[in-house]
Amino acid sequence: MKKLKKPNVWILATVVALTTALAGCSGNSNGEGGSTKPSPTNTAKAGEKDNAGESEDAPWVFGSEPLEFTAYTHYGWQDFPEKMEDVPLWKYLKENKQLNIKSIQAKGNHAQLMSTMMASGDLPELIYGDRYNPDIERLIDNGKIVALDPYLDKYPNLKKWLDPQLMDLLRSKDGKLYKFPNWYTNKSTNTAGYVVNKKIYNELDQPPLQTMDDLYAYLGKVKEKYGDEVVPFEPDRTVDGQGIGVLYTGFAEGNNYKSLSSDVQGVIKDNKLTSLFMDPSFRESQKFVSKLYREKLISQDMFTQDRGKVLEKLMTGRVAVYAGSGPTTYASQAHNELIKTDPEAGYFMIKPIHKAGLDQSNIHPGGYDRLGWNITTITTKAKDPEKIFAFLDWLTGPEGMTIQFFGPEGGNWKGFDENEQPIFTDQYDPAQVTEIQALNDRVMIVGNTSYIDPAKMKYENAKPPEEQNWSARYQSTITWPSANDITALNNKLNPEPDSELGDIRQKILDLITQVLAESATASSDEKVDQILDKAQADAESYGYNKLLEWRTEQWLENKKTLGME
Amino acid sequence: MPQAATEQPYNRPDRRHDRKPFLSRLMKQLDVQLMVWPSIIIIFVFAYIPMYGVLTAFMDYNLFTGARIFDNPWVGFKHFAAFFDAPDFGTILRNTIVISLLKFVIGFPAPILLALMLNEVRHMLFKRFVQTITYLPHFMSWVIVGGVVMSLLSTENGSINIMLQKTGAIDESINFLSIKDYFWTILVSTNVWKEIGFSSIVYLAAIAGVDQHMYEAADIDGASKFKQIYLITVPSIMPVIIIFMILAAGNLLNAGFEDILILAQNPLLRPVSDVIDTYVYRVGLQNQKYSYAVAVGLFKAIISIGLLTLANYLARRSGNSLW
Repeated sequence: MKKLKKPNVWILATVVALTTALAGCSGNSNGEGGSTKPSPTNTAKAGEKDNAGESEDAPWVFGSEPLEFTAYTHYGWQDFPEKMEDVPLWKYLKENKQLNIKSIQAKGNHAQLMSTMMASGDLPELIYGDRYNPDIERLIDNGKIVALDPYLDKYPNLKKWLDPQLMDLLRSKDGKLYKFPNWYTNKSTNTAGYVVNKKIYNELDQPPLQTMDDLYAYLGKVKEKYGDEVVPFEPDRTVDGQGIGVLYTGFAEGNNYKSLSSDVQGVIKDNKLTSLFMDPSFRESQKFVSKLYREKLISQDMFTQDRGKVLEKLMTGRVAVYAGSGPTTYASQAHNELIKTDPEAGYFMIKPIHKAGLDQSNIHPGGYDRLGWNITTITTKAKDPEKIFAFLDWLTGPEGMTIQFFGPEGGNWKGFDENEQPIFTDQYDPAQVTEIQALNDRVMIVGNTSYIDPAKMKYENAKPPEEQNWSARYQSTITWPSANDITALNNKLNPEPDSELGDIRQKILDLITQVLAESATASSDEKVDQILDKAQADAESYGYNKLLEWRTEQWLENKKTLGME
Repeated sequence: MPQAATEQPYNRPDRRHDRKPFLSRLMKQLDVQLMVWPSIIIIFVFAYIPMYGVLTAFMDYNLFTGARIFDNPWVGFKHFAAFFDAPDFGTILRNTIVISLLKFVIGFPAPILLALMLNEVRHMLFKRFVQTITYLPHFMSWVIVGGVVMSLLSTENGSINIMLQKTGAIDESINFLSIKDYFWTILVSTNVWKEIGFSSIVYLAAIAGVDQHMYEAADIDGASKFKQIYLITVPSIMPVIIIFMILAAGNLLNAGFEDILILAQNPLLRPVSDVIDTYVYRVGLQNQKYSYAVAVGLFKAIISIGLLTLANYLARRSGNSLW
């Protein structure tokens, strides 16, 4: 061992030498970074000046000149297509509109890629992601996103189709609009609700399923008849609320599914957000769930299973009642699979279940946000932000939306009617339309639901209910009408993650996640109360009330913006 | 083994007699040097250069400053204080220590035992078969292993529950992955199952190097198989065991990350499953609180270095230390 010491000295010496050398290198690169850093802001400023100059000119016509930019999807589960030819819409745009989009792909690693792009300053020109994604918020706060306001009056479509009050709600703190909404609408889009297994329901002589007592009795009968073979109540992945949240909405009129989510974490009472743990209907609902759990009437794996397991159970017809925030996707898939072998099997949806004595029309298993889902932004890296906006505005207009959904003109449609709706031709091919829509799904970034839903329904409504697409049928008859408008509750209620309120939100989120599981699987009703009492005490010590007060202010502010007072 | 290695002339130049200039000595051992340098350079580039980043633990790091970290304001021990004040700090620290100790106490000797047992297997085909089967799980990612374990243990249609019910050991399915008392057992046994085969390879190699004459001599002296294992095999591979033990000690606070994240899906388990790494991921990285994440990581690293030094100190007394 002693003999080894001398070479160690040598290694140490070289290590030190290397350190200095490499430190020198990194020093240099830092220096360079420092000197080159200001240039992007310079170019950004120059760009802004250009825009200012241009905005007096006529609007740029999309397709009149070649346009090229980089685009990035800020999700782990989805990327823009690698090549323009990969999806029908982009292929059309390349061939007919001289557009070339270079896709930057996260390949599942979006959080890391975004951090790298932020830290290096090498941002894509267009970013598509969640409406209140903290990364995108940070980009806006640091002046990396282009405000869209100068272009709104110059280009017709967004201004025409997006309600001005919704546009105001979408504006950032500085009053500017940075986000182009996706799937904005003026009506319900909710898909939450209850799905019932038709075969089991018929075999049990179709008992009423309106109140919670009906549901409890029905689940008991299922258990009695089918034993372990069938899961009486499948609440999906309850770590995310899902079926438990849907049940909660049935225990008081006006309850919101959102109350359980990390964006709200509170219950509306007398125009104020109050503690979820002290809400009597939440306690009642959790007692109901824990009773189902104790009596093995609800999936015993609800807090551990992944969604693949849920789909598998549905596909094999081993679920009697299924509830969640978006059960239509899986249920329609399972329905279509089951009816292949047995036309009497399959699933159907029922009106919201509620506690006896409540008015069913005031029970909302889900809500809808008129701003839709996610957003698209243009960064200051964009060489010509106005041209990108011109493209987005074209895409959200009648021509763009119709091509996304029904392919190029001359195929399934030709020309527009007096309502700007497409006129379908005799060659209309439903299979091809379904395929076009499925393939284009990941490049539909500025969806205009108000425009496209009537167009879609125009074709679907012409058919008798039995022949209609499963999802379309139950969405229009059950889930859409049973929802309430939660736009005011669904926006701007999340504090900045590294602020004090952000810390409280995180602590309450951890607490709710844990308490939801503990109380849902509690061994007795008294235990549920004990767990929630303790949760309330913990929450208060974390500063829950402060968070609720701030969120109440934000919510009331949103209501004012939307003119809902 | 270290003893064997030190017999090599390259590693032990007798410097009193070998006073040749540095360059000629370097040329003489060029083959070995060429093997060493790439690793030194890689360690340097990827482990030492980024190290200045730990300074962000004492700052409010803004991502947009990129590598120019000195543009960020210094905040002292703010993030450390926030971590120590976090409501779950006690639970997290306890879980980290308990889980890592359990993994160490059970997971460390397990491959040695397996290697000793395999060494006594005389049927070569069976030995190879067992070896292959036991080290296969090492090559599967935790997502797959976790999925297998979760479906084995699930209440609805889980094989273990079905087996226990069919044999009459239990009447009703047990929700294994939702009961706090079972979690540590499940976690540690899954870890042992996944890594036991692969870790035993190095011990098997060490055992193969033991001088066979000693066993013959012991046989003649009438030593039983157990005595031979206890008195010859184990002492012969002791240096390897100790080196690996020191390395394992340095890893002590790595209670695991993916395995816990995947197996402890049920939030009910958080009081027993939340460890420093899962906490950093959930609270620090998912919320982009980088400085906070770095501070917590640094705290963990400091304790790990302490443990490593202690282990090395104890090992030095037995004559087999890293440094």
